[in-house]
Amino acid sequence: MAFDTESAPTRPQAKAGDPMVALLLTWFVPGAGHAYLGRMGFALIAFVVIEGLYLAGVMFSHGMFLEYLPAEMRSRFAPALTPEAGNLGALLLHIKQYGYGAPFPRPWPSHMDLGTALTAISGFFNVILMSRAHFDARHPVRESGKPVGPALAAGLCWVIPGLGQFVQGRKLRGILIAVLLVGLFASACVLAEGANLDRERHFYYWAGQSMLGLSAYVAEFAHGHPLLTELPLRVDAGVVIGCVAGLLNILVMLDAYGYSEAKYLGTDPPRSAKSRAKLEAEAKAQAEADASVESKVETEVPA
Amino acid sequence: MNNLWIHTGLFVLVSSVIVAISCMFADSDDRAALRSFPRRWLSFMGGCLLVVAVMLVLEHTFASIH
Repeated sequence: MAFDTESAPTRPQAKAGDPMVALLLTWFVPGAGHAYLGRMGFALIAFVVIEGLYLAGVMFSHGMFLEYLPAEMRSRFAPALTPEAGNLGALLLHIKQYGYGAPFPRPWPSHMDLGTALTAISGFFNVILMSRAHFDARHPVRESGKPVGPALAAGLCWVIPGLGQFVQGRKLRGILIAVLLVGLFASACVLAEGANLDRERHFYYWAGQSMLGLSAYVAEFAHGHPLLTELPLRVDAGVVIGCVAGLLNILVMLDAYGYSEAKYLGTDPPRSAKSRAKLEAEAKAQAEADASVESKVETEVPA
Repeated sequence: MNNLWIHTGLFVLVSSVIVAISCMFADSDDRAALRSFPRRWLSFMGGCLLVVAVMLVLEHTFASIH
């Protein structure tokens, strides 16, 4: 579906640039990609929000989130697998400033969990912003009246799995995704009796399940961090299943992003080879039927 | 044996969700995605059974204690 960009009302023109440069700049400094594209106001707001979240997180956690890692796991590249890696510039500064902390165990600050959640959320938001910068560099003209943008659609899936698809008008898909992923995550929490909702206890699995987004954080602050004398019987199954639910939400975000991107760029949304072949066969049959009707009309009309 | 049934049930639950989300990711058309679910689920289960068989053979051959 081609879109008439000349007749459509547009927002102020932004400068198109190299998508990879915009993406990498955003990775290191939130908003820098949009500043490169000439959108200074948006860049400033993005920088303040994302770095503000990270700074608040560091203040609440006293910069101790990497101290959750046991000594044998504190390698040079261990922080690369944390959600904070989405905001790379802040994470590198964090490592330089705090590292793995003191060489002896220390008590956690009273708002440690809130602090580490905020730094992780900052990383996720910056990944969404990176995808937005990449898209804006390729498609600087934003038409009004178009469906929700790709980065926003993906970001909505972070709020509730399937919300992006729902807003795109694919309501059945959105509801199905929400039921499947939130249901799977809830069953994981029941199996682990809430023990999976604890970054200190399951550092990397927590990173996986936090991809589910706001639902995972709400569950954590409502039912997480249980005081246990021994681990529940099926804690392993709960931890793994919770992580699977979070990782599957990445596919859901990519689905939402791809659909909106196709709508904006006027290309065909992603389809399986079988579905595409069926559509092509239907189009071919329709074209043949039209051609036969035309030839019939021509033969019936006297010369 | 109790554990086996519980683990099998959990595996079926998780694999169904994995395949359902994969179907939707692979096809933007909802009807086509739903139609492809049984075939994809059977393929997924077949692949997993194959992995289980290979692991059991390897365990029996190289890792069993006599």
